[in-house]
Amino acid sequence: MRVLRFSIGLLVALLVHLAGMRLVPHFSLAVDVFLVVLVTKALDGDVVAAIVAGAVVGLFQDTLGGTLYGMFGVADTIVAYATALLAQKVVIQRMSGVVLAFVAAAATQQALLALLAFVLFPDPELPRVGWVALRIAVTALLGGVVFIASRQWRQRYDSWRRNRTARVHFG
Amino acid sequence: MNERRARWLFLAVLGAQLLALSLQVPDPERRSSFPESLGLRFLGPLARAVDSGADGASSVRESFRRRAALVEENRRLQSELERLRLEVMRLRESDDEARRLAAALDYGRQSHADLGVADVVYGDFSSWLRTLVVRTGSARVAINQAVVAPAGLVGRVILVAGPYAKVQIVIDRTASVSAYLEPSHRQGIVRGDGNGGLELDYVLQQAEVGVGDRVLTAGIDGIYPRGIPIGTVTSVQPGGELFHSITLAPAVDFGKLEQVYIVNSPSLPQSLKETSAGARP
Repeated sequence: MRVLRFSIGLLVALLVHLAGMRLVPHFSLAVDVFLVVLVTKALDGDVVAAIVAGAVVGLFQDTLGGTLYGMFGVADTIVAYATALLAQKVVIQRMSGVVLAFVAAAATQQALLALLAFVLFPDPELPRVGWVALRIAVTALLGGVVFIASRQWRQRYDSWRRNRTARVHFG
Repeated sequence: MNERRARWLFLAVLGAQLLALSLQVPDPERRSSFPESLGLRFLGPLARAVDSGADGASSVRESFRRRAALVEENRRLQSELERLRLEVMRLRESDDEARRLAAALDYGRQSHADLGVADVVYGDFSSWLRTLVVRTGSARVAINQAVVAPAGLVGRVILVAGPYAKVQIVIDRTASVSAYLEPSHRQGIVRGDGNGGLELDYVLQQAEVGVGDRVLTAGIDGIYPRGIPIGTVTSVQPGGELFHSITLAPAVDFGKLEQVYIVNSPSLPQSLKETSAGARP
């Protein structure tokens, strides 16, 4: 079920990204929908699943990107691992905490990409600070909304399943 | 799985990714890897479907909104077509004349390259990863083939995956094209400036360069055929001691690309490239 949920989330993110790129100029500079899916998954606290998700999401982004294949893979794997570890140690429930986790993840991803660019390219081209700040802010807000919405949906689904099971047993 | 095993898995995955990344760095030709080809084969059809959907939706919307404007545009295009037909006739005459004169001078004309049409299914020109994914269909496409649009140079093919190909755009920071200025015929190297524009490097201070001068491909890098417009000069500053600092506006509006053409010109043989790279003056 978790794998299915993650796959659907990734597919939706991919479609949103492709449609956004087609319809909105500078879409990829303003928001990272893949990171929203990745951090939402990592906040479950399952470290192994987060590592795999980080590698998969990173490969998706690398395929769509024009830089060296694997840069996003490395950055996303580290971000996912760190987020999952954080989720194991800290209980994040409130919207502000979720948004903060997304801010940290997006900022870490950008910092790692910049670091890799400096290490791998002689004259790296880096995004402007304003765009990076906007991307972090928009990704964090979207991430917060998606996380809270998915948690509520999950709670409703679980409650529906419990009720259904109860009816089957005692009805 | 306990925390220790998870840490080992993390290190293993990260190590594998870093190894794969480091193997690509010394490769200037940027050969495609299997996962990248596989990824493009999977994502290409999705990108195409989204692109077609967006096209369909926008065309329906436009047709409702611009019916009157379309009639007017059709009339204008008809008159332009007439004018262009006359222009083609005139150019054919000039071409015949040039052919005759060339034959008289025993001058071997350079054959025109074939063009293969490709649909743009995904383009990211605004972020720092400037990419274009095109659908080439059944046409044979190879790495390093030049990609052009009616307005000028787009870039070169860097990855082929089935009917899809990834194109390095000329405004990419890592792209470089040998070029010349049209009036002075001074040569230089065009690179992306990192902000969606272009720079022309290695043009000597002695060369006369003016704003508005056209810059075209020089055809000496073994990838791009000669004479394709790259851009126009927007500013000329004294750079270092030897060279101008020249910025260009690209000839192509990358944000409006829907179709591109892949140039099937005979590229420089690899053996010749290696010989020229190792040559000493």
